[in-house]
Amino acid sequence: MIHIISAANHHLYEDVLEEHFRIRHDIFVEERRWETLRKPDKREVDSFDNEDTIYLLALEGRRVIGGHRLYPTTKPSMMSEIFPHLAEVRGCPSDPLIWEWSRYFIVRDRRDGNLNLQLMAAVQEFCLAEGIAKISAIMETWWLPRFQEAGFVVAPLGLPALVENAWTMAALIDVSRDTLRAINERTGLSSVIQRQGPHLDAVARANLYRERNEMTRKIA
Amino acid sequence: MSAIEYGREALDFIEGLNGYTEVPAAMDALERTFCRFGFETIIVTGLPNPDQKFSQMVLAKRWPVEWFKLYTENNFDRVDPVVRHCRRSVHPFEWAEAPYDAERELGAAEVMRRATDFRMVRGFIVPIHGLTGYEAAVSLGGVDLDLNARSKPALHLMAMYGFDRIRHLLDPTPDPPSRLTRREREVVAWASQGKSAWEIGEILHITQRTAEQHLANAASKLGAVNRTHAVAIAIRNKIINP
Repeated sequence: MIHIISAANHHLYEDVLEEHFRIRHDIFVEERRWETLRKPDKREVDSFDNEDTIYLLALEGRRVIGGHRLYPTTKPSMMSEIFPHLAEVRGCPSDPLIWEWSRYFIVRDRRDGNLNLQLMAAVQEFCLAEGIAKISAIMETWWLPRFQEAGFVVAPLGLPALVENAWTMAALIDVSRDTLRAINERTGLSSVIQRQGPHLDAVARANLYRERNEMTRKIA
Repeated sequence: MSAIEYGREALDFIEGLNGYTEVPAAMDALERTFCRFGFETIIVTGLPNPDQKFSQMVLAKRWPVEWFKLYTENNFDRVDPVVRHCRRSVHPFEWAEAPYDAERELGAAEVMRRATDFRMVRGFIVPIHGLTGYEAAVSLGGVDLDLNARSKPALHLMAMYGFDRIRHLLDPTPDPPSRLTRREREVVAWASQGKSAWEIGEILHITQRTAEQHLANAASKLGAVNRTHAVAIAIRNKIINP
């Protein structure tokens, strides 16, 4: 199952989150060679890992086998702060109903197909439940046909460019029942997410930042 | 054109693609757009496995009839260095970037040379790698091309969306046979020829255990009770050709 971990229930998942930061270092730095993410303590943590991040982690017992994270676009996001040039044509979204999706990973021994589809299903299932309408993402362009094959509707925000030697693009993905249905048909599962403990209202949280942004603009 | 103009043109084109509900109309749109970059030929195609014919894999094409005949009759896809490189690359590339040994690989040299007789002097190919081992590509050719660092990202994205639209129009439901990985299809194809797991391992340069594992995975995906049943289902569903 894929667990939803936020500021509201992270006390139930301290060990899991810690392991996940180490796995991210192992995959994104050691395996994929994103050297800018390298950390001396071998924990891959960046400025988008904070009290507003929601982690979707696939667990087998207490072992992390895959996952990704969501981050509100009403705060400065990876797209707006690091890759705005990738969204040059249509612009970076900033909306409580749009969350940024990143750090998609699967541990090496589980890259056999079905977990990948479950992780794709998880983001759709979670966002539908929360009322999130779209997901923004910086993704390697060669993944586009894979998402499309799974039934994702993906709109580009700009042209691809090379990032760490890989063609990379900015996109906006629809959250839709049709997409979830198509993936569930392939996995044979009707639900993949699991919640434990208190639950954080994602859209309400993102709205707080929008109000704060508007206040700051007015004051300025 | 500036980078942002290329970007606007590409995204407008991509957003308009959903308006085409027939393959010929979608291909006309692709042809018109790629023509503006100087391209004269387009092919949207799956890449064949050892047991598939190239001609069956083509989704849509605007190729000179004579060239397609020559290409398929001579099984040029088996020696085409662009096809070979496409399987290994997730990034788009110019045809000229596909490596081959001109002295030793005479077939490869011949395909590249004969293509130029059909105004396919330079080209750009965008590889597609699907979820379950499906391999495909959009390949564009011509003589006098607007093919440079600024136009390539636009062509890259338009080709990928063009592929998706054509695939969707040809087959609105996901294709169950594509659920087997390439390796699984290969081992089932060899099993259908009466080869044992040990022999398949030798042929594919994998261990007997790995071959058995692929066979078991294929059988479970096909809902088969054993190896023989898996072969029968795979043939019946045209996943492999007997």
